[in-house]
Amino acid sequence: MKKLLALALSVVMAFSMVACGSNDEKPKVETKPETITILGQSSGEADLNILRDQLTKAGYTVEINMQPDYSSFQSALSAGNYDLALTGWTTVTGNVDYAVRGIFHSTGDYNNSPIVDEKIDELVDKGATETATQAVSTYSELESYLVGEKAYIVPLYSTMKNLAYNNQLVKSESVSQPKSRPGRWEMFEYVDSKLNETRPLVLTQSSSTPSTLDPIQANDGTMNSLSGNMYIKIVNLTDDDQITTDSSLSHSYAIAEGNNEYYFLLRDDVFFSKAENGHAANTGVMVGGEDVVYSLERACNKDSVASHKTYTLHNHMQTIEMVTDLNELNTVKDSDTGATILDTLKKGIDGEITALTNKDENVDNANGTYQVIKVTTTQPFPQVLNYLAHQSAGILNKEQVEAYNSKFSVESYDPTKDVCYGDFAAVKSGDSNMLWCSGPYQFISVDDYGIKFEANPGYMADEKEFTSKINNIYMKFIKDASAANSAFRAGEIDVISITKTSDIPTIEQDSKFTVMSRPSNGVTYCTFNLKEGSKFNNVDLRLSVLHAINQEEFVAFNDGYVMPVYSTVGTILETGNKHVFDLNKSAEHLAAYQATVA
Amino acid sequence: MAKEMSKNQSLYIKKVNKRKLSGSLEFTTSRLSWQITLAFTLYFAYMATKGSVIWAAAAGVYGLGFLMQYYIIKRIIKEVTGESGEISSTTRKMGWLLLPYILIGDFFMFSAGCMLVKKEKNIEYQLSVYSLQVTIFILIVSALNLFKEEQSDTFWLGMGLYALYAIFNVVIIGAVNKYTFSKKPDKKFMPFAVICILGIALGNVFSFLLGIIAIGKYRNKNEEISVNWIDVIRRLFKNYMAVVGMFIVIFLLSVSIASSLTFDYDIAISNNFMARLAKPSLMYPFGCDEYGRCVFTRIIFGARISLIVGIVSTLAPIVAGGLLGAIAGYYGGKTDNIIMRLLDVLNAVPSILLAIAIIAAFGTSTINLILALSIGGIPGYARTVRAQVMGVANQEFVEAAKACGAKDATVILRHIIPNSLAPVIVGATMGIGSAVLSTSSFSYLGIGVPSHIPEWGNVLKAGSQFLESNPYIAIFPGLAIIIIVLAFNYFGDGLRDALDPKLK
Repeated sequence: MKKLLALALSVVMAFSMVACGSNDEKPKVETKPETITILGQSSGEADLNILRDQLTKAGYTVEINMQPDYSSFQSALSAGNYDLALTGWTTVTGNVDYAVRGIFHSTGDYNNSPIVDEKIDELVDKGATETATQAVSTYSELESYLVGEKAYIVPLYSTMKNLAYNNQLVKSESVSQPKSRPGRWEMFEYVDSKLNETRPLVLTQSSSTPSTLDPIQANDGTMNSLSGNMYIKIVNLTDDDQITTDSSLSHSYAIAEGNNEYYFLLRDDVFFSKAENGHAANTGVMVGGEDVVYSLERACNKDSVASHKTYTLHNHMQTIEMVTDLNELNTVKDSDTGATILDTLKKGIDGEITALTNKDENVDNANGTYQVIKVTTTQPFPQVLNYLAHQSAGILNKEQVEAYNSKFSVESYDPTKDVCYGDFAAVKSGDSNMLWCSGPYQFISVDDYGIKFEANPGYMADEKEFTSKINNIYMKFIKDASAANSAFRAGEIDVISITKTSDIPTIEQDSKFTVMSRPSNGVTYCTFNLKEGSKFNNVDLRLSVLHAINQEEFVAFNDGYVMPVYSTVGTILETGNKHVFDLNKSAEHLAAYQATVA
Repeated sequence: MAKEMSKNQSLYIKKVNKRKLSGSLEFTTSRLSWQITLAFTLYFAYMATKGSVIWAAAAGVYGLGFLMQYYIIKRIIKEVTGESGEISSTTRKMGWLLLPYILIGDFFMFSAGCMLVKKEKNIEYQLSVYSLQVTIFILIVSALNLFKEEQSDTFWLGMGLYALYAIFNVVIIGAVNKYTFSKKPDKKFMPFAVICILGIALGNVFSFLLGIIAIGKYRNKNEEISVNWIDVIRRLFKNYMAVVGMFIVIFLLSVSIASSLTFDYDIAISNNFMARLAKPSLMYPFGCDEYGRCVFTRIIFGARISLIVGIVSTLAPIVAGGLLGAIAGYYGGKTDNIIMRLLDVLNAVPSILLAIAIIAAFGTSTINLILALSIGGIPGYARTVRAQVMGVANQEFVEAAKACGAKDATVILRHIIPNSLAPVIVGATMGIGSAVLSTSSFSYLGIGVPSHIPEWGNVLKAGSQFLESNPYIAIFPGLAIIIIVLAFNYFGDGLRDALDPKLK
């Protein structure tokens, strides 16, 4: 009897091994599991894992497609074999139009889904013409339509910018962390000023292959901060996103009545530099009005280069011209004060404006001969100033660009054969460093490990405040965030922007490091695959995913170094919209979708 | 001269004593027991200095155990090297004191106790004791889930079944004592033996071995000649470190089966930010990782993947490489040349590079991982088997088989391969260890199992980012990997000695 009992027991055990327990709290609505493929980069592994977990809990069968870097992520994105893509957007110009146009407008350069919705286009265009206060309601409406109603995107969180530096080496007062624009290298200074001339300051970035060094051909994290420090703009943003002429090519600027015309009084003490024998040399060519007109016309002309990635930022500019008639400045009134444009422009200089010229060689600020640039927009568009402060509005030398780009036509451009201005592969191969830089730093050379920069010797000789203090900068490529963090702590890197928030406490423990944190305009979100044939063209299915996302978990995971957000607008304007996490709603929408399919 | 003589004399006595002691199972088990128990005591005492009562209590209990064990081993040494060379019955009775220590997880003291309390020990007795120990260990480890907020639905079912199984194991020990100590096991033991064999379904290899040994002995017609493979096992169990290694492997095997009942997979895989980076506690014995997943549970479930991948990716190349090697070795000449040169080509590609290439081409999944690890192992096993077969193929019994008209396939499969397996088996046990290591390395590099799946390399990777702030997240999976590889290596070492005809 005992034997039989024992025998039966082992049989029961063998069978019951197959069973496996789970006790999920299921939402009230009955749904079938729906498969969803999430595409992301390995740098977003943690976010992908949280997404996977949350969507699994909402009844999805989740597959992860993790690509090792940005370029393979991009190709997977354009191949379209995904449902949900983890992506992000940083509004580097600090204005709302930039936060929506490139990614949600049907003509947007980075609208990958693609989102094609007339109402969104209409609202984006409407918001652009309005003043800041009017625009709040428009953008709020856009936001709630884009996210709450149509769920074209799934917002996850907005990031904080975290910058760490070695305070024993780098002067604390010289380190600043702008909210939107890339960091200003010319401000950095060593504690020991003797080092400024000799020691290269080591910075880091993850990508070793910037997409291009031509400002208008890309607008991504691989080249933003490089281009931002290589080329001067005619206006700039302060650390808090206000328009300023500090460190720009203008002495001052003025907005004419009607918000359609913009005037800029140019300086004459900025010269192009070039790389010569491994050092930066002054070309003796002044950065003048002709270069400004050329560069900006190039930026707003869709066909100026084969791969124009910033056209939508600049297509509001109708004409860019040089003013030669002083009387024009005397008659047109300033939109804010009602004073003449000439009076407003004069506030930026000590002397008088006695003559205007459109020839670079005739400029002589000391004797009162100036150049004035006038930008006319297609419609009243005050945000154009933010775009002119963007790296894509960087000033290039006309002759130097054409020396390369005139060798082929835009239509027949073949990236494998032709070398255009800013072609990174050509610069890297060492055949030609064609880069003439108008900004504080000249690009010297690049290898697999980093880029060497040297201060532009012809940059703003008259204004010491904005000239480069540290002569050499080395941009080290470190792909992995943890490795970069270790390198920083080992003293191989002097200033680092920390992307992995879990590293912050360990860095802060060491008193010789200072960490600066501030909310940024960076937003991490997901876009759906809306190409033809994708099941996510169904709005119910998208809403189901949207409501399955719990932003609080992202905040908890990042120890509060990220914040909940509703859309890319949310970091710039207070719209009052809030994301709602609700598994029941998610299940309802999923059931609604499954009903339409069945 | 006389001085030298006495020096030689004492050296001789020392050697004799050493030999006497190493032949005594009571001594070897007790020696490891006091060493390990002392190590635990010191560790707990160190933890107790941080002011925790639980640690202090644990240090006290273990310290007491250590003192008892140390006193006992001194007695054993004295008695074994003494005149009678026998352990006294008083000392043996002291062994009972050591047995309760199994309840707080001290495997070594329990083993020492079991070996001490019984004077006559046969292989069946040892196996039944270890079988009971595995079961109790599973119960203890599973019982840790009681501290969790909720248990899996089948938790109590699993605990109940294993508790019954533990009781059954005690019954088996009794039956072993009663029926198996004669030359041939009693017929009444056979039903127990059958049930013991079924224990393999729970991963309990000790119980399985006990069953087949009993049946093998029972069916052995000539009582004067011992069965060859049983001798191998007996020799294996003389090497205590090999037994410890085997115990760990079998325990992990059993626990990965038991975990489907007593552990909740959700805790291992779903995020819980309330417990993010939680410190080790009774609720989370090894702490929690950055997603708030219980590291202990992840390690338990990770054993399953590590063992499956390790075993399958070792067996697959053995079958493929073994066959190729046997054919090459048996036929020789051109066949040999073609097969071996092709395998040389495979051998010339670094195996880790080959594996990375395969995974890069076919994508990351467990199947591809097994495939990638397997292919690289084929040439090694083929070479081993080929060399062995070449030796065996010229022996008389093969000629005899051929003379009887046996086909080539029969000769290879029935006569040659079984006689050339020994080195392969040893290679395989060692191979599993390194396969487990490779699996973890691949996961650590992000090209193995998807990162949320609990696999030891993944668990380690999740912890590696917190080595400075929360080291325990990485230490425990690291220890698990070290222990399983060491266990396989010790087991393989023991198996090699046991299979070596020279050491019979």
